[in-house]
Amino acid sequence: MSDTMLMVNDLKTYYRTRLKENVYAVDGVSFGLERGKVLGIAGESGCGKSTLSLSLMGFYFPPLHFGSGSILLNGNDIMKLPYETLRKDYLGKQIAYIPQAAMNALNPTRRIRRYVVDVLTEHDTGLDEKAMLNLAREKLSFLNLPDRVLDAYPGELSGGMKQRTVIALSTLLNPSVLIADEPSSALDVSSQKVVMEMLRKMLRESQVQSMIFITHELPLLRHVADHIAVMYAGEFVEWGTAEQVIFDPIHPYSHALMGSIIVPEEGMKSHSLSCIPGAPPNLKNVPKGCRFAERCTYITPECRAENQVMTTLPDGRQYRCRFSQEALRDMYAKEVPANA
Amino acid sequence: MKANFALAAPGAQGKKAAAYILTALLVGVLIVIALSGHASLGWRLALAILVAAVVASYAMPTFGKYLRKRIYWYTGTFFVALALNFLLPRLIPGNPVDIILQDVLAGITDSSAATALKNQYIAQLGLDKSILEQFFRYTGNLFKGELGMSLYLAQPVAKILASKIPWSVAIMLPSILVGWLAGNLLGAYAAYKKGIYEKVIFPVSLFLSSIPSFIFSMLMLLWLGVSWGWFPVLGGFDAQIISKQSGVYYMSLLSHWALPFISQTLIVIGGQAIGMRSMALYELNVDYVLFAKLQGIRDRKVTRYVFRNAMLPQVSGLALSLGGMVAGSTLIEIVFSYPGLGQQLMMAIRNVDYPLISGCTLVISITMLVANLLIDIIYGLIDPRVRTAQAEEG
Repeated sequence: MSDTMLMVNDLKTYYRTRLKENVYAVDGVSFGLERGKVLGIAGESGCGKSTLSLSLMGFYFPPLHFGSGSILLNGNDIMKLPYETLRKDYLGKQIAYIPQAAMNALNPTRRIRRYVVDVLTEHDTGLDEKAMLNLAREKLSFLNLPDRVLDAYPGELSGGMKQRTVIALSTLLNPSVLIADEPSSALDVSSQKVVMEMLRKMLRESQVQSMIFITHELPLLRHVADHIAVMYAGEFVEWGTAEQVIFDPIHPYSHALMGSIIVPEEGMKSHSLSCIPGAPPNLKNVPKGCRFAERCTYITPECRAENQVMTTLPDGRQYRCRFSQEALRDMYAKEVPANA
Repeated sequence: MKANFALAAPGAQGKKAAAYILTALLVGVLIVIALSGHASLGWRLALAILVAAVVASYAMPTFGKYLRKRIYWYTGTFFVALALNFLLPRLIPGNPVDIILQDVLAGITDSSAATALKNQYIAQLGLDKSILEQFFRYTGNLFKGELGMSLYLAQPVAKILASKIPWSVAIMLPSILVGWLAGNLLGAYAAYKKGIYEKVIFPVSLFLSSIPSFIFSMLMLLWLGVSWGWFPVLGGFDAQIISKQSGVYYMSLLSHWALPFISQTLIVIGGQAIGMRSMALYELNVDYVLFAKLQGIRDRKVTRYVFRNAMLPQVSGLALSLGGMVAGSTLIEIVFSYPGLGQQLMMAIRNVDYPLISGCTLVISITMLVANLLIDIIYGLIDPRVRTAQAEEG
């Protein structure tokens, strides 16, 4: 088995509206994910993060449709598989998903134990019911959950417990890729921290081979992610290691995004927060040129004229801007006095 | 005023004590009545069931507490209903004696003779006594199992009710069951399949459930009965048939039954389909559906989750409409001149026939209360969320 768990090539997926218009929410996304790594995907609301995470599951239902591209999971293109194979051998087994609203992710009228059995029976595990429940118990105790969770209905668990139960359930079969779509957005800061640590621990102990972590809370990514992709209007605009993207963003959008974070550090009070004026473009008719152009401080006429492609730097970093990284850094440096 | 204030005081302790005293009083009264030797078999049976339920409830820690509370509440409600059953008919303007003597009085020109005759009737019927005295007589008789005599029809109320209820049940029970089942299936199907199914089923159901039921019944009567002549338009059977054992009689029963049954069933289907569709649509979009699908659970199973959950409110709807069965048939029976309890109630009200009205409404109140009590119990058994709420409430 190669060390690349997931390889995505030029993935395009779209929503079809009532009026039969296609809205490309994920428009040509490519990336690779290696064993033991965590990829963070950041971006503002509506940039296509959640759609991307759903699209990666290879399972589409209206109004979301698959456009083109490939998703290689352990070397197999899951988009070429018949649905039954995908469902039985991949979904929940090799690629798992933690939904955004874990609060409602469990059937309220089914005990957790019965749900566990439901899931495991679908995947030809060859386990009998007792073994299935033992497996579930192991997962639960790994996440510091008591055995009694198995006999509970979702309504009888607290928010944090429910969240951890969902994590336990989605990792029952030690998936190669775990996609977590803002798994902590509904939790308070300390519960968030617990969840993050759990996820990291799962990765360390190979309960999960790799992870994609989607969030709009950038400070969170700094602690979790190895790589960060910044997404804007359906495209990746920057790719790099977590440190690089957070402390030294190249793309003007990433730069602006990092400038809008509140970090409880010294000197923060005197630091003025920047915000990004304007709104992302309507993906129904994407304007020609750079998608961020309208909101960019450094816009030039050329930005509107031609579509931007990803530039790859020697160290593997990527960004989508017509300026060179040196030119951008210069502009950022000049801007600082005006900002302070 | 002071007593009211004490009862309404927010202190949970005081409220609780008041509730216990009230229920103890009620239960005491019931037991005294039951043991006094006058109570009828039916009352003793009902009381025995209640007492058994209360005793059994002590075996179940949380649910039992909830159950007891429910039983006390419903017993209290029953007594209030009883008082209203007695009082409300007597608030109808008019006097039963005037109606009974209508024809006779029309022929009497001497006004003092007319008054004497009227007073004699009033005294005979006990209507000259104070309303409180009448009430005690009514309840006393009731617990002996006597519902009194119909003033207008001069027959025992119990006998009239016994002869009318089967007609109402014959229309309503099958139409509620069939309509409920068909309506839920259609609603679920429309929500799940969407597209053309939904575009047909939804508007039709909306039409059926929003058109006033009596108008719809009249249209059915007009088209299927009068214009096309498929069904007889009036009564419960052909009055010209003398032998009630013949096949002809049963055929006549069936053909008279069909039209009201069809109308009522369609109305029930409409309402249920609308409710089920929106519940199912809601459930289909809840996150657990997505999560379950992405965990690789097959569609058929996820659909089963969804419909089980969407069913829950519909179950209580079923129980409620079964409880309202006897009362709900009134309009249908009037439109189709069907000889059921509803039509009888209507006639009784027209004739200001106190005992008969009270008798009809008593049957309606009891079925309603029993149905509600059963929903309260059953619902907790099928929905764990309600069970939790019950435990907290109890």
